[in-house]
Amino acid sequence: MTAAISLKGVVKSFGKFAAVDHLDLEIPHGTTFGLLGPNGAGKTTTIRMIMNITKPDSGEIRVLGEKMSEALQHRIGYLPEERGLYRKMKVLEQLLFFAAIKDVDKDTAMKRLSPWIDSMDLRPWLQKKTEELSKGMQQKVQFLGTLVHDPDVLILDEPFSGLDPMNVILVKDFLTEFKRQGKTVIFSTHVLEQAERMCESIALLYRGRKILDGTVKDIKHAYLDRVPLPPPVEPEPELEKIFIKAVQESGLEAPTAEELK
Amino acid sequence: MNAKLLAIIKREYLQQVRTKAFWIATFLIPGLGLGMIFIQVALSRTLVAKGRIGVVDLSGRLYEPLLAEYKARPTDEEEGTKTEPGKDKKTPDAPVLEKASQAQKPKLVTKLDLFQVNATPETLPAVRTKLNEDVQKERIKAYIVLTPKTLETGAAEWRAQSVKAEVVMREQIANYLSRAATKERLRDKGVDPKVYEAARVRVDLEAHEAQEIESGESGKNVGFNIAVSATFFFLIYISIFMYGAYIMRGVLEEKNNRIVEVIVSSVRPTTLMLGKILGIGLVGLTQYAVWAGLAIAVTLPGAAAVMGMSEGIPHIPTGTIGAFVLFFVLGYFLYASLYAALTAPFNTEQEAQQFVMIPGMMLILTSTTWFFAFNQPNGTLATALSFFPFTAPLMMFMRISVQTPPLWQIGLSVTILLATIWAVAWFAGRVYRVGILMYGKKPTLPEIFRWAFQAD
Repeated sequence: MTAAISLKGVVKSFGKFAAVDHLDLEIPHGTTFGLLGPNGAGKTTTIRMIMNITKPDSGEIRVLGEKMSEALQHRIGYLPEERGLYRKMKVLEQLLFFAAIKDVDKDTAMKRLSPWIDSMDLRPWLQKKTEELSKGMQQKVQFLGTLVHDPDVLILDEPFSGLDPMNVILVKDFLTEFKRQGKTVIFSTHVLEQAERMCESIALLYRGRKILDGTVKDIKHAYLDRVPLPPPVEPEPELEKIFIKAVQESGLEAPTAEELK
Repeated sequence: MNAKLLAIIKREYLQQVRTKAFWIATFLIPGLGLGMIFIQVALSRTLVAKGRIGVVDLSGRLYEPLLAEYKARPTDEEEGTKTEPGKDKKTPDAPVLEKASQAQKPKLVTKLDLFQVNATPETLPAVRTKLNEDVQKERIKAYIVLTPKTLETGAAEWRAQSVKAEVVMREQIANYLSRAATKERLRDKGVDPKVYEAARVRVDLEAHEAQEIESGESGKNVGFNIAVSATFFFLIYISIFMYGAYIMRGVLEEKNNRIVEVIVSSVRPTTLMLGKILGIGLVGLTQYAVWAGLAIAVTLPGAAAVMGMSEGIPHIPTGTIGAFVLFFVLGYFLYASLYAALTAPFNTEQEAQQFVMIPGMMLILTSTTWFFAFNQPNGTLATALSFFPFTAPLMMFMRISVQTPPLWQIGLSVTILLATIWAVAWFAGRVYRVGILMYGKKPTLPEIFRWAFQAD
């Protein structure tokens, strides 16, 4: 079986700065893959090249076994690091616009989005302008925008950056649901803890080069002797779970978008 | 046309057309224009020449005739008021026309109170002192000093608080005086002044095109045609600036919202740019359609009468309308793609403005030359500017609206424009593609050019 995404000897420079330096990557179908590295490692540039937004100086990129094309772009859902929506557009219009630029007609889009809209409690907001929505709500709309064409591969650039714990959970649920459907999920992050918990495979980029890749299991095994082990800890509840519990037990309603403004 | 492009055009179009600002601008601009016409008509109807005027007549021969001319003023006024050629023809078979021209002519309310001030060359200095004081204390409006020289050379003196004010009144009095002096001079030569009235004839140069077949482009409508050409000329000028600004804001909005990356992951950047340009172009055409509708409403007889044009408004030549649409579209495309290219690399309107100013200057340059071009549509300046692509949309339109230039010139102008649009669009597409993803540092012009020519 061909890889969902493969890069061979990909180079991209901006002036003298080599953002991506001879990068090889193989991302198998159906896995959740983490593209890791500190800021400036070349993660966003790599993702943009996969998405055909910028082109590599040299090297080859194949997506679902083919060279990237406009048709292929439609089989990928992409959430850039810098996410945005048209502030003055109504939510539904916005979603339908995202559908239209992916060649998805209105009926298909509505059929696909309806269950999500309900599960995300977005229905009362469909006729509201984006600028009236809270940040969390906008986040949901953006996610729906990447789903509207039912992609096989989902690429998310720093999906957790700038989110509060509730929204982190939302994104996680989202990714879990995707994985359950057998889709390939690729996301970049510099928060290794997220990656460790969610990814099966990772690649670590540093200064445009890949310095490590493989399944999390294999990598951990390879470094077993070289990296000190953490001290054994008593099992204790995670702060995240405590957060949710405490919020639920407070008995207070979730704030509305108006209140959050 | 592909569906994505259509989606982008639709979004761009609806986004603009749905705003209150669009409708306010759509109705405000012609509203202001009409308002200005109304004010002008109203003002010109109430031009007032009123006040006490002292007459020091050292020649001793001009005061009475001046008074007589003033009293006989209905005919004097005809002459005193400068009208555009062709507007006061007195063809006996055209009473309607005459009425119309009467209506269009400013009606002067003349209420002069001329009084004689006795003086001799010896007492003149003292009289002057007194009259100067009267003027300064606003007991009288002005005074004139007539000498024997006035009869010989026409030289006379007008003294008022300001040399700039009351120009209309001064012109009128000068007119009465001219006639009075002329008659006196005729009398000196032994000619009955009545002969003057009888012999006086007013020559009207009616302008026609030098063609075997009457094109209907007679000078009758010169004033109207100037107005049409100028209006359309400035419409093109204003729209290019206005819609250029829309494009600039649109590009920056998408960039600052960071939505652009989502879009270019589905659509090619050039498609996005094209969609934006077409969408906003359609907004412009919608605005024009509304204005055309308003214009048709205005040309209805009732409305025309309200505006003091009982003649009705003459038809705008089809060629002019055709040229207007053609050159608006060409000019819009040229400047819109330039604006898109020059905005994409930047993050704020201020940064972009500096570069957008460059094409802006070229437009401003053209607008300052329009009157020369209007006067000499086939002159060197007009011809040259109608071939230079950045001024051609305005200048070629202007030339066509005045006098159709040789067809090859129109063809050449359009060809140069199309070639330039193609080149600018290519450049814009390349710069846009890189620029919209660039944040942070403001790029320099050489960098922008490098983007255009770098490999994919």
